[in-house]
Parts: sequence; C-alpha cells; structure tokens
Amino acid sequence: MSAVTTASVTYTRKDQRREEVAYGSPVHNAVTGFLIREARLLDHRELAEWATLLAEDLEYKAPVRITRRVQQWDQEFGTMGHFDDDYNSIQLRITRLTTTTNAWSEDPASRVRRFITNVSVWETDIPDEYEVSSYLLLTRNRAEAKDYKQLSAERNDRLRMTADGFKIARRSIMIDQVVLGMPNFAIFL
Amino acid sequence: MRMIPAKHIVNEAMSQMIDLENREVSVALLHDQEIYEVELERIFAKAWLLLGHETEIPNVGDYVVRLMGEDQVIVARAADGQVHVSLNVCPHRAMHVCLSDSGNARVHKCIYHGWAFRPDGSFIGAPIEREQMHGNIKTKAQLGLKKARVQLYGGLVFATWNIEGPSLDEWLGDMKFYYDMLFDRTDGGLEVLGPPQRLTIDANWKTAGEQSACDGFHTLTLHGSVIDIGAMGGEHDTAHESAPAMYGINLSGNGHSLRCIPADTSWALAHGKGDLTPDERLEAFPPPGITPELLPELRRKMSAEQLHVLAKAPPVVGGMFPNANILFIYSPLRDGTLGSALVLHSIMPRGVHQFEWTTYYFAEKGTPEHIKTMMRAAATQGTGTSGIIEQDDSDTWPHMTESARGVIGRTETLKYQAILGENRPADWPDKAKVYEGFGKDDAQWEWWLAYHRLMTAD
Repeated sequence: MSAVTTASVTYTRKDQRREEVAYGSPVHNAVTGFLIREARLLDHRELAEWATLLAEDLEYKAPVRITRRVQQWDQEFGTMGHFDDDYNSIQLRITRLTTTTNAWSEDPASRVRRFITNVSVWETDIPDEYEVSSYLLLTRNRAEAKDYKQLSAERNDRLRMTADGFKIARRSIMIDQVVLGMPNFAIFL
Repeated sequence: MRMIPAKHIVNEAMSQMIDLENREVSVALLHDQEIYEVELERIFAKAWLLLGHETEIPNVGDYVVRLMGEDQVIVARAADGQVHVSLNVCPHRAMHVCLSDSGNARVHKCIYHGWAFRPDGSFIGAPIEREQMHGNIKTKAQLGLKKARVQLYGGLVFATWNIEGPSLDEWLGDMKFYYDMLFDRTDGGLEVLGPPQRLTIDANWKTAGEQSACDGFHTLTLHGSVIDIGAMGGEHDTAHESAPAMYGINLSGNGHSLRCIPADTSWALAHGKGDLTPDERLEAFPPPGITPELLPELRRKMSAEQLHVLAKAPPVVGGMFPNANILFIYSPLRDGTLGSALVLHSIMPRGVHQFEWTTYYFAEKGTPEHIKTMMRAAATQGTGTSGIIEQDDSDTWPHMTESARGVIGRTETLKYQAILGENRPADWPDKAKVYEGFGKDDAQWEWWLAYHRLMTAD
C-alpha cells in the first residue's frame, strides 16, 4: 500500500464510542435539537452566534475522499483535507466573512440549507462528552443559478456538555464526493 | 472520428481572436467549442503536463489515476522502479482498465474481458491463453496500454504525448534555473502531504491558466479581504502600502512565469525594518519552505547565482505553461511562528465551460514532522477548496466564462496593455525575460503568446 496516499487516519473514531444513547431519550433529543439549531444559525449566516458553539480546543476537518477497491473500503480518506482547522482559524474565517466588505466568494451570499438527519449518539469515557454521527444534505444556490450545488456527508462530532450548553470539540466531515461539485468551501459544513 | 478544423482555419481563427499588435484576446476564446477541441489536440496532447509527485507512489505497484486533458492515465511505479504513465483505456474494447483512483497492483486487469497489463503498461495476456483471444494479427508487444513520455523533475511527474517533441528541459528553458530554487533545492527533495484536493469550477480552463502567469494586480482587489484582516500584509510608511509585494521581479520564458518578491519586503512585513546584508537575511529568514536546518543543503545545492536570487528576491508564485499554478509562500503557522505553505495546482479542462482544479501540498522531506502538519493546515486554510485566498478566485473565473456566452459579451477582449517592459537589473542573472518594478501584464501576455505558438504550430 502506498505510504502517502493511503488514508491511515481514522476519522470516524468508532473506538471512542461506548453505549449508544437511545433514540428519543432526553440526551438524544438534546443533541438533535442542538444540531438543528446549529444548522439554523449557519443557514441564516449568524456566524458570530454559531462561533459560541465551538470549543476552544476545536478540531475541524473535512478529509479528501479517494475511490478505492472495496478491499480498501476502510482507507478512503486522506491525510489532506478540504478543511484542516482549529478554533483560531475558524475565527479568522468568520472575521473575514463578517467584518470585511470584500469577501467576494460569499458576497453576494449563497442561499444554503443544511438538512440534518440520522442522528446517532454514543456515550464516551468522559462524562458529558458524546460521540455523534449525523447525516448532512446541503443545498447551495447562488445568484441567478437555476440549479443547486449539492453535498452530502456524514459528520462525526465530539460534543461536550458545558454550563453554556453543548460545544463542538471535534467535527470530521466525511464528504461523499471525491471531486467536489462546488468551487469552494466559503461556507461551513 | 471527429474532424479537427484544417490548420489554415485554426490559424485564421487565432489571427482574428488574438490581436498581437494591441495585446488583446477575444473573450470568444473562453466559449468556442471548436477551439476547445483544437486545444485538446494542440495543447493538452502536446505540452508537458504536471501529473503529481513520485512520493505519492513510493512502492513498486503503487499507482494513481490522473488526467491529461480529458484523457485518464495511470501513473504507476513498475518493477523497474521507474514511474510510467499509461493511457487508462484498454486496447481491446476501450474500457477503463483501472477503476479506483489510487492503490497498489502488480497487475491491472480489465474487468470487462480480463486483458491484463503490468504497471509499465505492457500487455500480459487475455484469459484462456490457449485460445489466444487477442488474435494473431497484432503481437502482444503491440497491445500494451498507450504510453506517454515521462520525465521526473524534483520528484514532480511530468508527461506528454509529444513523443518526438522537446525534452522537459528544453520545454522549461531558462525558467528551469529559477524552478530549481523551488523544486530541486535540498538533498531529500519535496514530498506530498497527502492525496490532492479535487474540485470542479464552472469556467474555461484558460481563465485560471492565464492568471497563474504573474497576475499580482488582482490581489489588491479580489483578495482585499485577506489584506484587511491582516493575513496578507501591507507594508506601512512605504510605497508598498496598500500594494503588498507588488514591487518585485517578474520572470517569463516559454509561457512559464514566476514572481520574485524582494526579501527585504518580506522581511519588513514579518519583522519590521532592519539593516541586514542579503546573505545575513537569507540566514535569518530563509525562503518559503526552507527551515533553518535545511539551509546548509540549500547553500550546497544552489549555484552562487541562484543563492544571489534567493537572497535578493526569491520566486514565490507563478505558473508553468499551460496549466500549473505555483504558490510557495510564507504563511503563519498555528503555533504563532511564521512558516510556509507550498502549493501546486493543476487546471485540467472538463469541457469548454468547466475545469478540474487539483491541489497538492508539499514540504521538504527534511522538515520536522510537527512542522509538516502545521504547513498542511496553513496551506489548507489559505489555498485550495476552503482557502481564504483562493476561494475568491473560484468565484471570478465562472463570471468571465459566463460573459463569453453573450454574443455581444464575446466581442469584448481581455487586455494586456499595462506594459513594464524587459529591464533586467545589472546584478540579476541573464536568464529568461526579466521585469523589475510594479508587476504588470508582461508575463501574462507571454502566456498568451505561448498559447498562440502552440495553437498555430506546424
């Protein structure tokens, strides 16, 4: 196996999942409600408010995907990503998008909808921290385009319950496309 | 078989669309389907194209699938240890032989009828050997995958279908002297930091191609937001203010180009004023991608002339005709230090109105691992899919292409009439065309002249 292109990095963190939290339980409801609210803030471009949901030790990644034979089905993701961010770099992105008057990739802004479904929640070894898998279907429309740029992904999050509610400590976005159909990620996923 | 327009028709079209006297290019060139087909023949089947880096395929049998124009090729390391580039089309029934985009295989077996090929493209045989299902009209030696001509340079894999054409050295010409300072400057050489990003931009490939040829001017406006938030600095109290790094030395040869930013400008942006000799500054502030521990290797490997350029004004951004884009730039790392982002893009046409933008990140092999990790993050945050610099470019090229759809819009021209002229400083090597001063349209016009030459070549 080629040393560099092989994706040895595990982004799903299945090893950190413990007891699965029952669908419809208070914790599951709280997590699902959090993800829906988060999507609403992003869709409505309330980025400063969205930033308050991020933990300061945030790891935010979207690894590139590779088409592999099924024998290497578990090695589909690369060490390189479309995002490779932390708390500070996300803040810099938000500063650019919200405080300048010339962030042209999102001015005029896209119309984005993030549909979040298939939420699974697991307990972890750390009390008040949860591993969360959710499906994302994202539609992005811009200017007079009649069609939509679309993206589907599974997101693997580490959520941490704090006195201020849930914070996102890690997000790994496992995109279904090898070749992206949209020209940039000037948006968050 | 599709008909390619006769040569005199193409020449006539070029003379109508490229005004050599007034340095204008018709916007119609971004839209014309017939011109596009000619480009695939005369540019993408003739030029040396960047396909990746040999560190992606370190072991025998390792392969990646890449594009040369609209043709898929298998880039593989064969039993001889060499890198081979073969058309990913089975000579039997035109099926793609390789169906995953990377992996390791000693044998590439077509899933349709089972014709099998080695990583060097040679034909092994078809199933039911005794029945000789490849017939007896052609020999096995004639039934290998079509082979491209390959040349490695600094570990970068270049290939061309122009088997009898110029060597890569001839193709790069005088510019190779400068590219050496980026790609071939340490003992270990470069390595990729992972498999590339790939995305689709709804624009004609030439919009990104010509920009790579030293279009520094657009940074002031299109990338203004990055300057505003302080991620791309303007030098205060000098003529450079609000025009960061616009005063420098642009280089051009055979359509290839580089922008050299004076080291004193970069030094002032990073550290304020200081009275260092060029050599002291090279020691204190090595060029992008060179960490202090790699400096002795750099000094050993570069000629005195090259070291002079590196100390005075190292090349940092530019392109390789027709479709590679280079950024070897300083970039803050997440630990607060000033580091680098080493980035190469290829621009592969996917129809007249679309191209694939592929992004590779690099580090010198001798870079400490924790710095490589930070370089990869810095490159990802600044360039490529989500890069705060380059996401604005991907917004611009589709608009230019859209303009060409209008019958009136396509009568407009791209203008390259801001001319600096060749003016090599006395202490600068006499290699390639040299333009010192506020970067203007000279090198971009040279890109179009190279395009014109290939499109009208015999």
